Amino acid sequence: MTMTATTTDSAPPQSPFRRAVQRLVRKKVAMVALAIIVLLYLAGIFAPLVAPHDYNETNLRRVRQGPSAENWLGTDSLGRDILSRVIWGIQTTVIVTGIGLATGSLLLGVTLGLIAGFRGGFVDTLIMRFGEIVASFPDVLLIILLAATLRPRIVETVRGIEDFTGISGLVSSGVVDYFVVGVALLPLSWFGMMRLVRGQVLFLGKMPFVDAARALGVSTRRILFVHLLPNTLGPIIVSASFGLGAVAGSEIFLSFLGLGVQPPRPSLGAMIADVTGRGAGSVSVLRNHPEQLLAPIVVVWLLIFCWNLLGDALNDAFNPRTR
Amino acid sequence: MKPGKTAFVAIFIGAALALAMACSGGGNKGGEAATAKSGSTATATQRPASGVQIAPELKQTPAPSTGTKQGGVLKRLWADPPTLDPHQVSDTTSASIIVEIFSGLVRLNSDLKIEPDLAESYTASPDGKTYEFKLRSGLKFSNGSPLTAADFKWSFQRAAHPRTESSVAELYLGDILGIQEIIDGKGTVTEARGIEVIDERTLRITIDAPKPYFIAKLTYPTAYVLNRQNVESGGNNWTRKPVGTGAFKLEDYRIGERMVLARNEHYWGRKALLDRVEYNLAGGVAMAMYENNEIDITGVGLLDIDRIRDPREPLNKQLVNVPPGFSVSYIGFNTTKPPFDDANFRKALNLAVDKELISTEVYGSLVLPAYGVIPPGFPGYSDDIKGLKFNPDLAKEYLRKSKYASATNRPRIVITVPGTGGSPTLDVEVVTDMWEQTLGVKSEIQQVEWATYLQDLNRRRLQAYAGLGWNADYPDPQDFIDILFYSGSDANHGAYANTAVDRIIEKARTEQDTQKRFALYREAEQMIVDDAAWVPMWFDTQGYALIKPWVKGFSFTPLIVPKLKDVWIDK
Amino acid sequence: MLIYIARRLLWTPVLLVSASLFVFVLGRFGPGDPVEVALGQHYTPEAASRLREQRGLDDPVAVQYGRYVWNAAHGDFGTSYRYQGKSVSSLLGPKLWVSAQLFLAGMLITVSIGVPIGFYAALRQGSWIDPAVVGAALVLYALPIFIVAPVLIMVFALWLGFVPTSGWGGFFDKRMILPAVTIGVPGIAVFARLMRASTLDVLGQDFIRTARAKGLRERVVNTRHTARNALIPILTILGFSLAGMLGGALITELIYGIPGVGSFSLDAIFQRDYPVITALALIGATSLVVANLVVDILYAAVDPRIRYS
Repeated sequence: MTMTATTTDSAPPQSPFRRAVQRLVRKKVAMVALAIIVLLYLAGIFAPLVAPHDYNETNLRRVRQGPSAENWLGTDSLGRDILSRVIWGIQTTVIVTGIGLATGSLLLGVTLGLIAGFRGGFVDTLIMRFGEIVASFPDVLLIILLAATLRPRIVETVRGIEDFTGISGLVSSGVVDYFVVGVALLPLSWFGMMRLVRGQVLFLGKMPFVDAARALGVSTRRILFVHLLPNTLGPIIVSASFGLGAVAGSEIFLSFLGLGVQPPRPSLGAMIADVTGRGAGSVSVLRNHPEQLLAPIVVVWLLIFCWNLLGDALNDAFNPRTR
Repeated sequence: MKPGKTAFVAIFIGAALALAMACSGGGNKGGEAATAKSGSTATATQRPASGVQIAPELKQTPAPSTGTKQGGVLKRLWADPPTLDPHQVSDTTSASIIVEIFSGLVRLNSDLKIEPDLAESYTASPDGKTYEFKLRSGLKFSNGSPLTAADFKWSFQRAAHPRTESSVAELYLGDILGIQEIIDGKGTVTEARGIEVIDERTLRITIDAPKPYFIAKLTYPTAYVLNRQNVESGGNNWTRKPVGTGAFKLEDYRIGERMVLARNEHYWGRKALLDRVEYNLAGGVAMAMYENNEIDITGVGLLDIDRIRDPREPLNKQLVNVPPGFSVSYIGFNTTKPPFDDANFRKALNLAVDKELISTEVYGSLVLPAYGVIPPGFPGYSDDIKGLKFNPDLAKEYLRKSKYASATNRPRIVITVPGTGGSPTLDVEVVTDMWEQTLGVKSEIQQVEWATYLQDLNRRRLQAYAGLGWNADYPDPQDFIDILFYSGSDANHGAYANTAVDRIIEKARTEQDTQKRFALYREAEQMIVDDAAWVPMWFDTQGYALIKPWVKGFSFTPLIVPKLKDVWIDK
Repeated sequence: MLIYIARRLLWTPVLLVSASLFVFVLGRFGPGDPVEVALGQHYTPEAASRLREQRGLDDPVAVQYGRYVWNAAHGDFGTSYRYQGKSVSSLLGPKLWVSAQLFLAGMLITVSIGVPIGFYAALRQGSWIDPAVVGAALVLYALPIFIVAPVLIMVFALWLGFVPTSGWGGFFDKRMILPAVTIGVPGIAVFARLMRASTLDVLGQDFIRTARAKGLRERVVNTRHTARNALIPILTILGFSLAGMLGGALITELIYGIPGVGSFSLDAIFQRDYPVITALALIGATSLVVANLVVDILYAAVDPRIRYS
């Protein structure tokens, strides 16, 4: 501990961010986790190139078969290639995590957190009270309620827009579905991040450098985004990394509730929820056709596991006081 | 009776139950015949969706022989019944339990013949408008209080009262003079002039027109007798301690947890053999529960059937067949919305679907490909109906002939399916892929949860819809053809309208000769098939269930009838 | 302190009104109609309007809401649409109690395993034990419930026959074991990680060094100083993790056949049983408020530095 202190003191000026990255790179476990994540995400993003088959290519003469040279992970109950569906399913996860993170916690949470923490007073109270109201609503209930009741109407509207403008693929890609779910999650996801950022800002706001900036007449916006935001980046990244894992997990849950992407488009959650018949059939699947369940579960498990390992490592890297 | 209202129909029950079951997670509950062809269409999954149906008990339980032992407890996995009020019931889960606790004037026997139940006998007047029922002597409710004709009068009137909120009173009792006035009376009318109490054991019912099927309507729970004192003192919660006339009485009921039926010692006939029936209402994994001896009967789903069919499997000896119900599931088209306004296009879609292949490979032959509307074995069924069988070349030809031959002027196709979770769409997923492979016609599947689906269906807003099944309960082809395809019918969700078909249906309504009537319906059915109003998908076929060797006297019936009184446990 | 509690409690009605209003508005203007669901195949426009009138659903929304609030304030939360004639409180009461017991059992497993291993890992920081313990907890955390539950049923119910596959027998019934493990295990990683971080934080502080310097034995330092102080931040998350368990409980209750509130609420939403949904929202909001309040009070009790003003 003392060693770290001396090195930072004597080393040439370096941003805390870069120091954290250096600490991170030295961790083997974190790097392996990161490599797996990158690998899976790349496979997902380039699914059209990577997947050996089309995800919706049914072959009723090869139903529920074990692994073979043709289908490395076997086929599902419609004779579709499980490996290809898993890869496309990862793409769905990538989209979901992207939307979930971008809309809820990053955009809303960070901005409001910065404002609440910096402004304080009435604005702070307003944001905090509003957040409490929304957070007091049971989240599962809210997600189901919003997604179940409003989604068909929103999807319909987007279809209308697509037909009108000639754009296509928005609905079929599942983006709209997940956007709805993302919006349903929005009232919940922003609050945690908001409080985190607000706390950081409150803490940093008492630091001399903010006072100095203010004395120099730096504009509020500049103080917020140039001085404060970079310094809150550490906790944001840590929290986002855990959040990404959690989103991968909640995707299963949403599919289980029938609120995920529309069939036949694959998602890891739908693959699990489908074969298990909403949970009740899972024992039967496991005994009779375990291979149907294992591939998507292993991938989901890997994603959650690796994001968390990475999150832990990031936490250690960005908050050296816990070392 | 208005046209289109004759249905004793349980059209949506299939899908509704599938949803309910999916939600409550019980793979195979809701009915013994629920052979959980998991992933199949709603109807196929939920066979006993035969609801509150007029129906024969397929095979009458053999009279208990000398080896009969009395007693025992039958344990079952069941879904939580939405109601135990016979006057409200319109779902199978509830009806299966209600028929064991309550009863009415008449019931049906195995030959579709009406048989006296609480009534000893009944006579119809020559003009067919007045029925006189003679009750059995010494009838008692399960609490020991006597039952008289006045109880029936009160019960019928109570069923029709708006406060009862019965969705089926109009259908089942609306023919009785004065009942419709109670229904529409906003609570101010309580007396029906069509029901007269002649004496303690004689009840006279007058209806608005001669209707051969009226007496069959009285076999429905809506026409069951309730105990006035029990209902009125119990308020909204009277079904917690219901007093009935069935072979069993409700002993214990905890919502979502368990329900126990016990022998009704005041039953008029031979008392029930079982001591108790225990329903687990909380859910669980049915197959695992069965193997662990937690329940006595379970359906066998697609995932388990291969394992159980293997003769080396110990459970194989407990495998029994479940008779098919009368149902058809289909993909419906709204014939007023493009591209489904073009019969050639609809035909092309029909011809491009290889149902035989889907049935054998995806559903393990647990469903029967449908090429017509009326299921095999049903009155009016004919194997002369020429269906649109899989024929890729002909399909392409019809596509070329249609207005929507090229993809550029073809509107987007969206098939809406009800429910949550992916499974119910399995066959639709294959079908859309077949359309794309054979015809190059692309389509999207839109899954919508049940309440929204219903609303859109009722308003004819859906362009194409799947996941629906139609279950017969009225042993007459009119139940399929008139209800589903007459242009003015409420259940004609695809807005199918063919004046020629309409004329034949209207003719059949007044035709008195059964043979001629059935011939008319056959004619209409062939026209409907030729028009490709639907893609008929599956008829119900024989299913499988497991039953413990110690359960004796239990028979699987395609329809809901009281049957537990003849069951006993031998262990 | 009292003033603080009073202020928090004063805030509660605002939360409740917001929650119920939200459900109410969504229910009346969102797609799907409880009356049409109730009628199912027997839908006709006339039947629907009759039923709507009978249930008072044809009144203006403001009137309906006013009536609801008035009745709710008098303890009447209405009757369920789905279970006709059954009052919402009689339906939900027993189910909430069942779910609460399941939560509690799950929480006991989470905390009683998570906290000690997190503490132990922190004390062994730098050795292989630390990452191994945290990693093991993470492995379990990342496993979806869809695989955990069936595997448990297969192994412990079907193969070994230790417990029945499903059902409910109360808190001290052996049927509680598998479901409690299923919902309790994933949280272990969360608590282990928190406890570890919190312990490391405390270990680095001066008073621990002082305690050691005083010559106190290691065990005394660990238990009386480190653990006690490290536990404080853990308390804050307790309230929130209760809310987080609801999702897991839903699936767990389905698979194990537990008559709890999870699957019941799912059905209520899909069938538009608005009286039940509204009551659930109210209960959810109340329990979160209470849980957080209790945590705040506990916090003050454990940590003398905290004073609410």
